[in-house]
Amino acid sequence: MEIKEIDMRGQICPSTFITALREINLNKNEIKSETLKLVFITDNRDSTVTIPETAENMGYGTTVTKEEHHYRIEIFAARQ
Amino acid sequence: MTFSGEWITGLTSLVIGCLAGLVMHRSDFCMAGMMRDLFLFRRYTMLKVLMLLVLVNMILTEGFRLYGWIELFPYPAFGPPALSNLLGGALFGFGMVLAGGCVAGTLYKMGSGNVISMFAFIGLLIGSTLYAEFHGAWKAFSDATVFTPGKITLAQLLGVSQGAAVLGALVILGIPVLYWWKTGAFVRRSYAAGYLQPWKAALIIALLVAISVIIIGVPLGITTSYAKFGSWFMSLVLPEHVRELAYFSTMPFRYANPLLEISYSGGPGPGYDGIALIQYPLIFGLVSGGLISSASLGEFRIYFKVPLPQLASGLLGGVLMGLAARMAPSCNIWHLLGGLPILVMQSMLFGIGLLPGAWLGGKFLSGIVLKNN
Repeated sequence: MEIKEIDMRGQICPSTFITALREINLNKNEIKSETLKLVFITDNRDSTVTIPETAENMGYGTTVTKEEHHYRIEIFAARQ
Repeated sequence: MTFSGEWITGLTSLVIGCLAGLVMHRSDFCMAGMMRDLFLFRRYTMLKVLMLLVLVNMILTEGFRLYGWIELFPYPAFGPPALSNLLGGALFGFGMVLAGGCVAGTLYKMGSGNVISMFAFIGLLIGSTLYAEFHGAWKAFSDATVFTPGKITLAQLLGVSQGAAVLGALVILGIPVLYWWKTGAFVRRSYAAGYLQPWKAALIIALLVAISVIIIGVPLGITTSYAKFGSWFMSLVLPEHVRELAYFSTMPFRYANPLLEISYSGGPGPGYDGIALIQYPLIFGLVSGGLISSASLGEFRIYFKVPLPQLASGLLGGVLMGLAARMAPSCNIWHLLGGLPILVMQSMLFGIGLLPGAWLGGKFLSGIVLKNN
């Protein structure tokens, strides 16, 4: 599976969320067919609320993990 | 001012600022985001939390007032409503969305290492100082557009007691707040380390504002000191110009604090006065709170690789917020957390103005600043 990683650290709020929405919509077929996983690297704490909540409402699976000084948010097909 | 009174005032501001900064960082209590997300993403949770905060502060301050702990009422520095409150609120709403945080959000985010908030802070200083160039004309406009001369609160306008007006507001606000409480609408699911539920933050901040009113006599306020710092900086390079600008000689902040038995007087001009005593420690505290919270979580980090349009947005948003905070006058913290709970009409107008400003700011941010992100 291909992994598309987008580094959003230091960016203005709500840049991370808007970019996440855009990337999900642009790549929905690839994500749903399990050929692509989106990964967002962010230091915006609020994104750990908004992105998983919205992605799950859209039918995707998500995980959030803390890595050193930032967070890693993964979006993938719900069946995974 | 007495020495002990000064120390108690400064320390109270510092502790309140530090706790507020810490709590705001832990709960992502971003008031710019509350307004922006209402229009941009139709998300209301944080706005509901803000209503909870206003409601709780309303109960606390009215209780303390009736108990005799709040002697200065309405709080000093509030005035009758004018068109300038509405227009200032709208410009402020636009600016805070562009800056990615309000005057308090900018401080705690700056403390956590956010570079855009540092640009917004510089913008705030520039905007607050720029206002001095047209203060005379704006003050004349503001005075000419006062809606209810001599009447500051809704209770004064309606000719009813403050208790009756607050009771009415509590019923109107209380019904939806109770419903949201019962349905769990205040709870957010977050994966952030050390996350503090925003409703808990709202309760703490409501209490901090009430403590500020009891001890210092006024709610939390920040923005006059931005103009003060700007005028001090300008006095280093253009001392003659600072002396020429009438705004920097005004002393709009003047009252006696019966609890601490001291009198404060202050204004936007350079130099140490009551504004510096109350607001500088609050600002320092808010930045420190953000720093302590982020550092203790291992999240303090300065990322310099930020897209230029976002840096420009932060700076421009700060300039507009600074200007608006002088034009309104004052900021969202002063009006929404201080004036609104005691039904000050200029705070209501400021709050109404924030909404179209935040809507337009959201359009500008998503359509221009983040278009090619």
